[in-house]
Amino acid sequence: MANPLLTPELLRRLEQFQLLAARRAKSSARGERRSRARGQSVEFADYRNYVAGDDFRYLDWNLYGRLERLFLKLYEEERELPVRIFLDSSESMTFGEPRKFDFARQIAAAVGYVALCGFDRVSVIPFPDNPDEAAMRGALRTVRGRKSALRFFQNLSQLTAKGSANFNEALRRGALEARQAGVAVVLSDFLDPAGYEQGLTSLVARGFQVNTVQILAPDELAPTTYGDLRLVDSETGGLQEVTFGRYRLASYQQMVQNFCQRLREYCSARGINFFMASSNTSLEYLLLKQLRTAEVWG
Amino acid sequence: MNFLAPLGFLFALTIPVVVVFYLLKRKRVVKLVSSTLLWQKFLSETQASAPFQKLRKNWLLILQIILLILAVLAITRPYFPTKARSSELRVLILDASASMQSTDESPSRFDKARKEALSWVDSLREGDKMVVLQAAANTEVKQSETSDKSALRRAIESCTAMDSPTRLIPALKMAESLIRDRDKGSNPEIHLFSDGAFPDSSEFENKALPIIYHKVGQGANNIGITALDVRANPEDASQRAIYASVANFSTNNLETEVELKFENHLIDTRIVKLKPNEISPQVFLATQTNDGVFTIHSTLDDDLAADNDASIVSLLPHPVKVLLVTRGNSFLERALRAAPNVDLTVDSDLQNDGLAYDFVTLDGVTPTVWPKCNVMAIHVYNTNWFDKVTAEEAPPIVDWVPTHPLLRYVGFDNVRVAKSLLAKTPSWGVAIVYSTQASLIVAGDLGRQRIVWIGFDTVESEWPLRISYPIFMANAVEWLDPATVRNSQLLVHAGDPFRYGLSQPVASAEVTMPDNSTRKLNVDTNSNEIVFGDTFHHGTYHLKAGTNQTDFCVALLDEAESNIKPRDELKFGKYNQISATTLHRANMELWRTIAAVALAVLMFEWWYYHRRTV
Repeated sequence: MANPLLTPELLRRLEQFQLLAARRAKSSARGERRSRARGQSVEFADYRNYVAGDDFRYLDWNLYGRLERLFLKLYEEERELPVRIFLDSSESMTFGEPRKFDFARQIAAAVGYVALCGFDRVSVIPFPDNPDEAAMRGALRTVRGRKSALRFFQNLSQLTAKGSANFNEALRRGALEARQAGVAVVLSDFLDPAGYEQGLTSLVARGFQVNTVQILAPDELAPTTYGDLRLVDSETGGLQEVTFGRYRLASYQQMVQNFCQRLREYCSARGINFFMASSNTSLEYLLLKQLRTAEVWG
Repeated sequence: MNFLAPLGFLFALTIPVVVVFYLLKRKRVVKLVSSTLLWQKFLSETQASAPFQKLRKNWLLILQIILLILAVLAITRPYFPTKARSSELRVLILDASASMQSTDESPSRFDKARKEALSWVDSLREGDKMVVLQAAANTEVKQSETSDKSALRRAIESCTAMDSPTRLIPALKMAESLIRDRDKGSNPEIHLFSDGAFPDSSEFENKALPIIYHKVGQGANNIGITALDVRANPEDASQRAIYASVANFSTNNLETEVELKFENHLIDTRIVKLKPNEISPQVFLATQTNDGVFTIHSTLDDDLAADNDASIVSLLPHPVKVLLVTRGNSFLERALRAAPNVDLTVDSDLQNDGLAYDFVTLDGVTPTVWPKCNVMAIHVYNTNWFDKVTAEEAPPIVDWVPTHPLLRYVGFDNVRVAKSLLAKTPSWGVAIVYSTQASLIVAGDLGRQRIVWIGFDTVESEWPLRISYPIFMANAVEWLDPATVRNSQLLVHAGDPFRYGLSQPVASAEVTMPDNSTRKLNVDTNSNEIVFGDTFHHGTYHLKAGTNQTDFCVALLDEAESNIKPRDELKFGKYNQISATTLHRANMELWRTIAAVALAVLMFEWWYYHRRTV
């Protein structure tokens, strides 16, 4: 299975993982996740009195022999785990070497693949909307089953990043659209002037188990252009003038650290897993080490 | 605070220009970034949407305005006026004598005086003028009246200290002539930068010169050689006796080792212990086989090095050839023969110019040919040496000059004269024995001829019967001996000219200085002597003029100069005393300090700018 996003070796190792959900699955579709619903599985859940019309196959005949009363054995229903991946495909994600968007797609592919291997339903929600990619984006709305992985990768790799994103609106809408809560993975640089708080709060409030990965380009962490600059915002087109020198690099880096730290603390306060990665970070290290250590999957 | 150049404030107009530059929009490099969110902290400094932008708080602008303010202040040359009066003419006299080389001030008194003088130049106001004189053995005008500070600085910096004593009077006379006709309102001043190491003078007692004395110096740790002479040992004519005086001018007991060298070979050494202000005469005896230079050296490392060495040329004594022209005078003949080392010839007349003799004694005889050598004329009327000669019976001897070399140990207390010629003292000589009306004995130098004239016939007086008579004749033999004259000329005090008589004309001469450098001298072929004036440093010089060669020595040998204790006041007569001033220079100019601060601000501004943009 060839795909441009993940290597076969990495895919083989990802197959060993399964997304760990802290909450029981609430999906209506059957799957392989334990749920609070009663249904057919091998996991015994409880007894209840027989009422007319019940399936005789679930009567506990041993108990009838001892008590001469009819009890029905109940089993846990295994449901699927909805996994929603919010992929920031705004213009700002096209920066960096390697590009932040490429790195985000690789993470999305990895998370999706792990979910598909676990018979979970995967939804990729790129934002902002791009009418030119409506078909691809529609196909990525619901993907289920391992056999869909190849198509999943192909659609993912054909996505492009452009336009100006409204982070809060995208996440809020994604939370409302979801019929059942599940696992949400947010892949973004979080560089939205309007902030990120409302969007993340919407997901948490909807009951999602949220994982965030902040992706920044190396040049954003340590700029290498100095002098009198006129900065043009790639999304808003706004002009800002600065005078920047090597001696002010430490001050800039401190400011970036503060920005990331605020985001980390916000996530931590709401039970959101937070990861921060430069776009030149080793993908294996992030997927196989950091996410596993944080028990995103295991 | 006042300003010497208030027009410099016009440069303050540049400050709004700088502000306008900051109002202008700066050309910047356009850079596309993912988001400007991370740059918010750096945005506040300069933002523009039009050619002119709103002025914001900018440390770079503030620094540059501070820099400009400092520059404008420096240009206006602010100063703090002090209590010194303003003066339109200041005559600076820098004492460049030997004592100013003392190292009790660092690096030397002269350097400190020069530095102080430079600070006065800096404080000169526009229009005020200054004259720079250098006073040592001679007074030299280093810079005539000018208000050009750079010229004045150059003049002061070109001054150098010498090994010569201070001759302050000529310098003060020159200064007085410069300020004499000045308007009193212009407050002319004479600033003397000195340690006061020179003899008192009463010359300006009634002149009330406006002298401001800037005392330089602190201590007086000095032992100096203040006198040096070499003669034949009176007790052993085969030996030479070197007489030296070693003086301690400090306030402590000092001990030094005094060395005697002959032609740079150590002959004798001795330890000399001296109490404060004690002068110790030292006599060294040495055997001399050839002409050469004796050097006395004090090894103590004191504040003044110029007087630690003194050299003297010693020529081997030769018999003095004396011709006595007389009709018969056994007293005189015996007295002359009694003098040491005399080769006496007696004759009744002189038929030639007498140059074969060292000197000729004419005893009442007018010779056929007048001698060209030195002459002692006794009772000789026709000499052409005097305007008028008169005769007098029994003239009384009323006074004599005991300090003259001819009258050393000679007295006329009980001498009576029967008859004598009397002459008025001529310009070429000095009277050493006086009668009531005129001179009885005259001595002096007329041209290159040394003359002793005795007006009375000695046999017509009681003098030959007195002990002073043979002593006088012995003194006369020594004084008239040309070798004595030559010897005395071979030691000159620093700063005094060296004279050397020529037996034949020369066109040029060469002098080798103590530091082995050479000076070429052009000599007038009609001149019968060489005069060399560059004797400002002590040591042994060598003169070569044609076939003639000689060494001569220059030494300080000045008690007043060796006494380096700085004097708090100078005495110009009994009632005219000038105290050392505590006056500071009139205007404490600040522009250098301000310029230094401006430079520091400029460097900080440069660093700050590059810190932001590099």
